[in-house]
Amino acid sequence: MDDDFSTDAKITWCPGCGNFGILNALKKAVKKLEDTGVKRKHIMISSGIGCHGKIFDYVGLSGLYSIHGRSMATVQGMKLGNPDLKVIAFAGDGDAYGEGIAHMIFAAKRNADITVVVHNNGTYALTTGQFSPTSKKGFKGPSLPTGNVEDPLNPLALLLEAGASFVARGYAGKVNHLSDIMVDAVLHNGFSLIDVLQPSVVFNDTYKLYNEITEIIPKPAKNFEDAVKLAKQMGNRLPIGVFYKVKKPVFHKELYGDWNPVINKISRVERLKRVKQFL
Amino acid sequence: MKKDVFTYIIGGEAGQGTKKAGIVAANLFAELKREVFQMNDYPSLIRGGHNFSVVTTSTSKIYSHYMKADLIVALDHESYTIHKNHLNKNGVLVFNSDKTKGKGIGIPISSESKKYENANLIEGVTGIAILVACLEKDKKILDGIIKQEYGRNIKDNHNFAHAIYDKAYDKITKRFHLKEGKNKKVTLSGSETIALGAAAAGLDIYFAYPMTPSTPVLHFFASNRKKLGVITVQPENEIAVANMAIGTAFTGTRSMVGTSGGGFCLMQEAFSLAGMSEAPVLFYLGQRPGPSTGVPTYTEQGELLFALYPGQGEFPRLVASPGSIEEAFHLTAELLDLVWRFQTPGILLSEKHLGESIMSVDIKVNTTKWATPTISTSKKYQRYRNTKSGVSPLLFPPTNQLIKWNSYEHDEGGTTTEDAELIAKMHVKRATKIRSMTEYIKKNIKTVNVYGHKSPYIFTWGSTTMSVLEALEYTGIKATVVQPIYLQPFPTWELAKYKNKKSVVVEQNSTGQLEQLLKEKVGINPDLAFRQFNGRPFDPIDLGEKLKEVKVNGR
Repeated sequence: MDDDFSTDAKITWCPGCGNFGILNALKKAVKKLEDTGVKRKHIMISSGIGCHGKIFDYVGLSGLYSIHGRSMATVQGMKLGNPDLKVIAFAGDGDAYGEGIAHMIFAAKRNADITVVVHNNGTYALTTGQFSPTSKKGFKGPSLPTGNVEDPLNPLALLLEAGASFVARGYAGKVNHLSDIMVDAVLHNGFSLIDVLQPSVVFNDTYKLYNEITEIIPKPAKNFEDAVKLAKQMGNRLPIGVFYKVKKPVFHKELYGDWNPVINKISRVERLKRVKQFL
Repeated sequence: MKKDVFTYIIGGEAGQGTKKAGIVAANLFAELKREVFQMNDYPSLIRGGHNFSVVTTSTSKIYSHYMKADLIVALDHESYTIHKNHLNKNGVLVFNSDKTKGKGIGIPISSESKKYENANLIEGVTGIAILVACLEKDKKILDGIIKQEYGRNIKDNHNFAHAIYDKAYDKITKRFHLKEGKNKKVTLSGSETIALGAAAAGLDIYFAYPMTPSTPVLHFFASNRKKLGVITVQPENEIAVANMAIGTAFTGTRSMVGTSGGGFCLMQEAFSLAGMSEAPVLFYLGQRPGPSTGVPTYTEQGELLFALYPGQGEFPRLVASPGSIEEAFHLTAELLDLVWRFQTPGILLSEKHLGESIMSVDIKVNTTKWATPTISTSKKYQRYRNTKSGVSPLLFPPTNQLIKWNSYEHDEGGTTTEDAELIAKMHVKRATKIRSMTEYIKKNIKTVNVYGHKSPYIFTWGSTTMSVLEALEYTGIKATVVQPIYLQPFPTWELAKYKNKKSVVVEQNSTGQLEQLLKEKVGINPDLAFRQFNGRPFDPIDLGEKLKEVKVNGR
């Protein structure tokens, strides 16, 4: 692969980790986005904390390596600061569906024009494999060796209900397919969620399972109800692809129209004139 | 003793428009070219309870309301019971004779208001009709005020005001003829001067989750969005508020957040992120009595030490607290400039008493700085490039260079590191920034206000400064007021000269937080401390009496 994306950072993911698939899909997606006319200098990234977050160091894109659970808030701030930017938040399942769940729900609710890529491995891998918000009941980890006693969240159904205008599931083992979803998500005007099935070879190796049960859906569901059905589909047929995609008013435009705080920055003279009106 | 002071109190239930009547009274005094100070006291509820507004006016500079009033209008029984004790010797007390019996002038306010829709809401107008009658102004003045201030239901308000005026006019035995002042001044609340100061320094976006007493800043920006051009955003919680503001700063857009203690607790991880990633964000922390939910709509200075040390780890931070509503304008602008100059978080620390009180101000906007960062011109951009000052040039997207801000310890380029040498190097970089920031402030910034030049020395901070200044005015005591504006860095270089002097500390908390700082950082051991922590600001008369004792008794 053409590697003008590489950085000096040494990659420390476990060999075979699903994160490689996501990194490669991202690189491909950026290339494809460039083909559509999106400039790389307009693509900003952020990530949370966990194995997934290291993608920030490994890819030559500008951004802010945020804190646990907050990358979704960080990129919303970027978008509000300069709406010309295309912003992508990377998050783990602990970030997106645990620590930062409120940001996810509200970003979907207000249809913030951001893309969230969730590296969903069903475990807290960087902290050695505790159960996560999407761990199956019975999942054994060091914080509950007898097995997780909670049912997992269904993030896709949850975020559909919250108002997400683009909901997709990808699989780290299907890089090309995932990169296409990423392109679609970034080009979508509004909140885009890509929940990525990401095997953790050490703590939750799901390659074999996902290779068997994932099934690409050719196009989004016709309506919301069908999308929710897809999101709730479990068992031996696990759909991947774009589940739902609708046009909805976008947050920053609803808030301040075609304004751009960077480009339309008010001059000091003008601002002081405005302040003087109150004095 | 200060002459020419007139104080007006209007009390009633929440929803009766006592605050509005206070504001209208303040505007009326301002029209007479007089100085005003208005304080609003209200519990955290929407209907019922006891609200009051007190407005003190004088032809000379005034820094506080007084709790001894010349005219009191009590719309309900509770207001009468509470405020009759606040009446000056020759003062006039007007009460609602439908609700209570008592000494003073009873007017059947409720029987009159009953004739109108929104009977309860209209009663606030009583306060203005009575005030106008007491000032011996004719009904034309009253009509003008109704038209300007109570225009929404103008016919009812007009008729009601006339009825009250007529009922009261002959019963009022004492008239107040207020002397006109020299210059008409604008009256603004501390929240308004904070917002205007930030706007004058180039603020683009204000993020806040509603929390008393910081909310009026959000409301002011929102209602003047077109006029000022500052965007407001109300995210889901304070965590989002602070993190979004950091994301916004990343793009070169000036952001600020506002909250109170509880909300600021939630912002601490982002505050630390701003320190590590070197994000310039200004945090407005409006104090109310704590701990925890505390007393939402009252005032306290219990978060000084909290504001000095929020967030994990070691990084540069700025904390400053304005001593007056006027100073809030300049200090907010100055802090926004400083956080961009040194790329680190700063806190504007204030209180309900400053944020929600209204005062005559005289503000010059041209002295404010426009927050402008140093932009990188280097061919290979490094976000955390080491420099002599510790401050690295900024660069904003879109650019073909890589911009990497990082919450992890990082190398100069912004990539995560665990390398021993780099970790130490970056600690030194941030420490260097603390030093260069302190040096800059030492050289260029006024960090301490000093009023007067005689012993004893009165140390105080924040809005309590206004109470102290007015107490001295009231009593005529000669003393020196020393008010550190900057609390981090603490201006030890300015304060050292006050060691071993006869001194007293006045602050609104129970543990003496400024006193602790003076002791620990400067070695000043004040002889006495006056602390008030009942949620109410000091009354200048009470405080003046206490200060008299210091003057007489000394050590």
